[in-house]
This record gives sequence, C-alpha cells and structure tokens, in this order.
Amino acid sequence: MLTYILQRLGLALVTIWAISVISFVIIQLPPGDFVDAYIANLSASGSVVSQQQAQSLRQLYGLDQPVWVQYWKWISRVVQGDFGPSMEWGRPVTEVIGDRLWLTVVVSISAILLTWGIALPIGIYSAVRQYSVADYAFTLVGFIGLAVPNFLLALVIMYFGFVLFDLNIGGLFSAEYQLAPWSWGKALDLMRHLPLPAMILALAGTAQLIRIMRANLLDELRRPYVATARARGLPEWRVIVKYPVRAALNPFASTIGYLLPFVVSGSIVVSLVLSLPTVGPLLLRALIAQDMFLAGTIVLLLGVLTVVGTFISDLILMWIDPRIRAGIHG
Amino acid sequence: MATKSPILAALALGLTIAIGTASGALAQASLEQSGLVGRPEGITIITDQAQWPKSFNEAPQLAELVKQGKLPPVKDRLPQDLMVIKPVKEIGKYGGTWRRGFTGPGDNENGNRINASDRPMLVDHTGAVVNPSLAKSWKMSDDGKTFTLNLRRGLRWSDGTPMSADDFVFWFEDIYSNKDILPVGIADMTPDGKPGKIVKVDDHTVNFVFDVPFYLFETLMSGDTLIGGGQAVRQSNKGSFGAYAPAHYLKKFLPKYTPGGVDAANTAAKAEGFDNWVSRLHFKKDWTLNTEVPVLGPFRTVQPINNAVWVMERNPFYWAVDTAGNQLPYLDRVTMTLAENLEVLNLRAMAGDFDLQERHIDLGKLPVLLENQQRGKYKVHLDLALNGTDAIYHFNQTYDADPEIAKWLRSTDFRRALSLAIDRKQLNETFWLGVAVPGSTAPGEVLPYFPGPGWREKWSTFDQKQANELLDKIGLTKKDEQGFRVRTDNGQRLRLQIQAVQAFLPWPKISEMVADQWAKVGIQADVRDTERSLAMTRTQNNEHQIMVWNNGGTELLYLFPRHAIPVDPTEAYMGPEHAKWYNSGGRLGKKPEDPNILKILELFTAASGQKAEDRIKTAQEIWKILIDQQYSIGTVGQSPALMGVRLVSERLGNIPSRNCIAQHCRTPGGAHPETWFYKN
Repeated sequence: MLTYILQRLGLALVTIWAISVISFVIIQLPPGDFVDAYIANLSASGSVVSQQQAQSLRQLYGLDQPVWVQYWKWISRVVQGDFGPSMEWGRPVTEVIGDRLWLTVVVSISAILLTWGIALPIGIYSAVRQYSVADYAFTLVGFIGLAVPNFLLALVIMYFGFVLFDLNIGGLFSAEYQLAPWSWGKALDLMRHLPLPAMILALAGTAQLIRIMRANLLDELRRPYVATARARGLPEWRVIVKYPVRAALNPFASTIGYLLPFVVSGSIVVSLVLSLPTVGPLLLRALIAQDMFLAGTIVLLLGVLTVVGTFISDLILMWIDPRIRAGIHG
Repeated sequence: MATKSPILAALALGLTIAIGTASGALAQASLEQSGLVGRPEGITIITDQAQWPKSFNEAPQLAELVKQGKLPPVKDRLPQDLMVIKPVKEIGKYGGTWRRGFTGPGDNENGNRINASDRPMLVDHTGAVVNPSLAKSWKMSDDGKTFTLNLRRGLRWSDGTPMSADDFVFWFEDIYSNKDILPVGIADMTPDGKPGKIVKVDDHTVNFVFDVPFYLFETLMSGDTLIGGGQAVRQSNKGSFGAYAPAHYLKKFLPKYTPGGVDAANTAAKAEGFDNWVSRLHFKKDWTLNTEVPVLGPFRTVQPINNAVWVMERNPFYWAVDTAGNQLPYLDRVTMTLAENLEVLNLRAMAGDFDLQERHIDLGKLPVLLENQQRGKYKVHLDLALNGTDAIYHFNQTYDADPEIAKWLRSTDFRRALSLAIDRKQLNETFWLGVAVPGSTAPGEVLPYFPGPGWREKWSTFDQKQANELLDKIGLTKKDEQGFRVRTDNGQRLRLQIQAVQAFLPWPKISEMVADQWAKVGIQADVRDTERSLAMTRTQNNEHQIMVWNNGGTELLYLFPRHAIPVDPTEAYMGPEHAKWYNSGGRLGKKPEDPNILKILELFTAASGQKAEDRIKTAQEIWKILIDQQYSIGTVGQSPALMGVRLVSERLGNIPSRNCIAQHCRTPGGAHPETWFYKN
C-alpha cells in the first residue's frame, strides 16, 4: 500500500516537471514574443513604439536569450515560490492570479454543486423509471443541453436577460459594488449575480452526468444482489440508494481528477462571454499576449491540479471500492 | 419594458456573435439628414487677460480639504499664467463619476488620452490648429536651430511641487541620455543624425537646440510624438519619452542620486520586488500603475490600471479654470470597468452602463446601438476620421521569394489596374454602412497636406474596362479555363496572397470581397487570415506580398509616416528592405531601384529642414507620387470606424457635437474632458 502511494507520488513529480517544460515550450512556439504582440497591439490603436523601445523591452524581459536560459531562469524561481512578474499586468503573477482565484473557485464550486444536485436525482429517477414519460422528457432536455454549446446559451440568456429583464450584463458585481470593500451588501450582490453563470456552466455537465448515472444504474439494477435485497423485503428506496447507487457512483470518483483544474480555471469560453473575472479569460489573454510567466504559471497550476486530482481520486477509489484495494494487494 | 421585434433580436444576436457584417440598411439615409454627424466645435482658450476671472471657485471636496488645512487655497494652487477655457456651451457644475469601459492593462491609451493636456501644445478640434497647453507660447528661431518653449509661470505638479524648466533638463540629462534606460536616442531629437539638446534659459523658459535646421520640430512638438506626447502616454508602459519628467519625485530612484550608486539602487529595487533599478523606475514613472507619481493632467490614478476597475480622481492642482473662475475639471472621478471581451463592452454600452464611450465601440453594431438609445439614455454621435483609408492594400516592393509575383507587385500598371478593379461603393455599403468616403489614400480634404482636387479619385474609381485594358497591355493576356490570368513564366494561374489580420476592422472579410472583385478582371487573390503577431513577424521578414491595414496617422505625414512610406522597419508593409535601408543610413536592407520611391524618401528627408510652407508642399508632392504610383491602394476612409462611434449620456453637458478623430487629436482628450459635467 505505502509503496503504491510512494510510486504514484514519484510519478506525479516527474509528470509535473514534464508539464512545466512542455507548457513553457508551447507558449514559446508561436512566432514573435511578448514585445511583438505588444507593438502590434499599440500600433493597431495608432500608438508609436520605436525600435529602440522594443529593443530595451526585450532586454528588460530577457527575451533576447535562448529558450532554455529563459526556462531555467523561470523554473529556478518557481521552485522557490517566485513565479515572476506578469509582463502585461506589471504585477507579480501570484497577485494577478490571486485576485481572481477565489472568485473562480466560488463560481466553479456552485456550478459543480448545481450539476450534482440536478443530475444525480434525475439520473436515478430515469434509471428506475426507465422508458417512462419523465425519462423521455429528461433525456430530450439532456440531449439538448449536451448539443447546445454553452457559450451560445450564455449569449442567448444574456441577451434576453438584457432585453426582457434589464439584467446587468456580465460580470459578478453591480457597478456600485465593483469598488466597494467587502461587506454584506457586496456578498449579497455576488449571490444575486451567481445563479446565471453557475446555471450556464452547470447545464452541459448536467446532461452528461444524467446519462452516465442512468446507464450505470441500469447495469446495476439488473444484478442478482438487487433481486436478493428485494426478496428479503427491504423498502424499495433503501434497495436502490444503499446498494446499486453506491456502486454506480464509482465513475464519479475517478473523474474528480478533472474537477480540480476546472474549479480553478472555470470554463474559459463561458467566462469570456459573460465577462466573469475568473482565471480562464486571464489564461487566454496571457496566451494571446505571449505573457510567458503568467500563462506558464496558469498552465503549470492546472497541470499540477490535474495530477493531484488524479492522485486523490485514486485514493478515494481505493477507499470506497474494496475490489480495487484487493487488486493492489494481490 | 421595451418590446422588441424578433427580427431585431435576431439581428442583434447575430451581431453579438460577430457573424453578421453591417447591413446596408442605414446607408441610404444620408449622413447629413441622420443627425448623427455633428459640426466640429471645441473649447476656446481666452488669452486676453482683461477677460480673465478675478476670483476662483473649487470643487466642494477640495474646499473641505482646504478648510482642514490639508490643501492650500485655490488661488495659491493656480498658476500666474492661467489657462482660461470657455467651454463648448456653458459653465458647468462640480460632481459626478464618468463611467467608461476598458479592456485591460494593454488599454492604457484609454486613460492616457483623457490626460492629453499634459503636453506643451495640443491641437484643437479641427485637428489642424495648435493651441497652447503647458506652454503658453513657443517660437522657432529663424535659422531653425533653436526652439523655445515658454512654460506657464506657476505651474504645479499634482502634489503641489512647482513645475519648471528643471523638469525638462532632468528628463534630458538623467532619463533620455541614460543608456541603461534608453540605449539609443530618438529621431525626434536627432535631425540628420546629429543629437540635439535641451537647455534651461530661466525657470520657465526651455530651449531645444540643434546643429542643423530642424523646422519640423515645431510640428513634432505639437503632435502625438515621442518628444511632444507628454508624460501620461510617453512615460507609461515603460516609455521614457515626453520631454519632461517630475524630477523631485523620480530622482531618488536613479543611481546618480542614490548614495551608494548602482549597487544601492539595485538593492533598494530588489527589496521592493523589482529585478533592478531600471524596472523600478519604469514602474515609478508610470501614472497608470503608480498612484504616487505626480502628474499634470486633469486626473490622477487612485486605483491602478491592473485591477478590475481603473479609477482616476481630479488633480487638485490642475492649472485651468473656466471663464467664471471655476477650477477644472468639473468631474470628480473617472472609473473604467474591465470587460473581458469587446462584445460585452458593447452590450454594456447599450445598457447605458457608460457615460461617454467612443473607444472599442463597433460601427457594425450601429443599428442596435441606435435602437437602444432611449432605454440606455444615451445619444449616438458619428465622428469622422481624417485619414484617407481604413483598408489600405500595401504592395510589398521588396518581395523576392517568387520573381514572377515580385515583378507584378513592382509594376505600376498592374497596381493601377487592381485599384481600378475595386468597387469601393460596395465595400462602403457592406462594411461601413455607407457612411465613409471612397477613394485613394490621400488625407482628408480639410488638412493642409491634401494634395488637391482630383487626387481622391485618381486611379481610385471603379472601372473594370480600363483595368482589363491595363492588364492586357502589360502582357497578362493569357487566361485559364476559369478565366483567370496566368503567369508568364510557367503558364500556371497567377495567384496573389493578401495577408489580413482581424483587428480593428474585419480586414479578412473586407479582403474576401476585394478578392472577388479582382476575380472579375481575372486576377486570383487568396486571403490569408493571419494572427497578428505572426503577421508582424512575417512582414518584418519580408515574406508578405500584399498586406492590408489602415493608414490612420498618415494624415500628418511627418508625424506618423510608417503606413504611407517605408521609413520605419517596425511596420514597413510597403517594403521592409527599403525601410531597413532608409533607417540604417544605407548600411542594411536594399536601396530602392524605383526612382519614384527614391524621390519620395529624398523629399521626406529634406522636409525636416524646411519651413512650414515648403514642408506642406513637399508632403503634397509625396502624396501625389504615392497615389499616382499606387504602391498602396486606398479603398474607403474618413469614417467613424475607429473611435468614431460615440455614445454620450443624456446627462452630460459641454459635449461637442463632433469630435476630432485622429491620433494627434488624442480622441477624446482633445475635446478637453475637464470641461464636461453632469447636468443633473
């Protein structure tokens, strides 16, 4: 058991190192560098950047050095907990991400809770009442939810929210609370803005989860142990919730690995459309501007979280499923 | 609750998703009748001291600070040489927050422009007349070697410290001339390659001294240039230009004034989290990032730009008053809210979340913007730009990868034919809603540099017959089965490449239409929709055949020539190798063989030593050659496409009915936002 955990830990470290190299290289791959992107940006708005200024900027950021030198400089700082400055934002990367991190976590966790809250009961219901009218209805809605890209849904909801209900467009705060320090009013304001993005983010995931839950549960419901439980006279809800549902939850545990990075990045496209101040749009922006330290740090963070998440889900699986535990010992 | 027709909803949605191109619906209604285009109007600066106010008022917040003893009385904060402004319409009143949208730290121009009056001179609302600003007057010596600025006596920085000629000398000696900050000098200070200098005459008089006649310097000083641009734009975003700097504040960050020199300065910088003293200096002088740096514009930053909201407040030492003696600005503060994308910014503008916004507003959304005027409580203004064309097709004169293509790109008749093959009316109606002016690349008729009658139309009308004749004449007579002309070397179809970037205008889509029009005279062009840093790299490497961009800024040819003539290697779409040759004094790149290009470069070089009248003639001469030769094809311009669609809250007063749209007008700063106010 302990050797297994140590093995996994070692592997995780190597993976994280590989991620750091690959993410750095990928960010460097597009032609040009931060200064080119910066000049293009300014020139498009009619501002002048002289050759001299471009040259001194390159020196300042060390962009005139080879890639491996830049990587080494970056990673040796990262190991000490210093992620470097964001070129575009002119602030330490940790501050830039930190500003948005916990708002992202709030949005994502509410989306996940909402997804589970809707998907699990419906999944169970449509498995138990297979081919009922409600099952068909949920299936239809579920498939529509899967098929419609959620950024489109976001646009449609936002537009009608604006036209019909005069809703605030995008963002997580009203104008009057944007600047205000934290207070009850501001928290309430956040609560008011939260349902819309949380719902949009939740919908696509919901459909998928309903289908998985339904399929898994249908498999389990046909097993002999269910018949045995019924034969022994257990109440119907207990038969279902206590045994087959527990077994059907197995696949959820194994996807926790992907939940962690989602919690931190949110959905990039939806956040962008809804103008949510989360980490997702920050990453996109950093990639476009070739802001290497910022983009590199976010990609690294997401990579680390995926690795950690997978590790955790391995542990959880071991804990909830005796068969997997047995497999390791054997 | 407003009811909306489903068609409009669908249209709005289509535009929001950026599928739709502007419909021609509005095109038919003529611009004059639409009431959207106003008359150019602007503030008046009162120079007659007899008309100056004798007593002064200030904002209630400042009066309170005076009462608490935290601020000197208003009359002591104002300079002896006042700037007295007569607003566009009326005397305003104090108060209110101007709400705007911005797109992030790269959008610092959004705020720099509001502080545009922090430069020695500033052009007026016509874009052609130079007004005093920090300097009350200026003079170029007869020999063109000495330019004198007479600063307002009694000017103060936003922290109350007097501003003087020493701040100019400090900038010149300790920032501009410091090789660690700026490795090389700038062209604005180096006529004919000979470095000039800044000399203090007395506390409020500064001389710029040159070895050779440099009459152009007066124009450079009045434009949005590295030398004349002022502190807000030229010292933010790691710039180190702008002719002056707050010496009393910045000295302590320079090694020269630090006991212990470079090492001590670096140690201090590291302690604050910067890599070295240069990085720290870049931060300290940047008014958008550092709330402590003293400024001269009407507003100063109180919450930096790298936040979700960028907040500015009035500068208590601003040096201008209205004719009733009220110290400006009227507005208490400016808040800019970060929008993660332009669609959201436009939607917010429609919802009335912004009080005055012209930046980032999309001309293509005009129908929806108009539709929402009442519920958003704003009015739409269309302001027309001064540059000749919003989509300019540069033919790379130094392209050499494919000799056959290179030959045609260098053929005058080939370029003229392609220009004649463009149906500019169709482009105008499709992408500019018919509100722009079709024609050549020439600057607006109101500007002195306009070459004269006939040059808007020269080689720039729609004439397929003549285009075909020209193409036949130069030997492109053979066609393939589909009717496309073939190469003269191998009989394959002649295929041109247009490199287009999706930036301020939908250039890839515009180019698709141009390519369709060229197909009708038998020329195939493939549009390459290119990501913009890639486009930048490719053009710098001389890999492009035709590049589309706009020619904004070229209306003042000497201040921003790069999109008209190949002089700046950063963006030399017309011929990167020629630009390198010109810029390096002949050491690098390729000398133009085309006598017309040589002539243009000669004229341009000579202009800096010419007096204003001759210089204007020279510019006209350059434009005539450019248009006759069609190195760059103009399509449609003088439009509101860039910063010209202005949404103004009904509550705001003193707003000109038309803004000057140009880089040197610092839109909207040239309209003096310090005189705007809330009526209720």
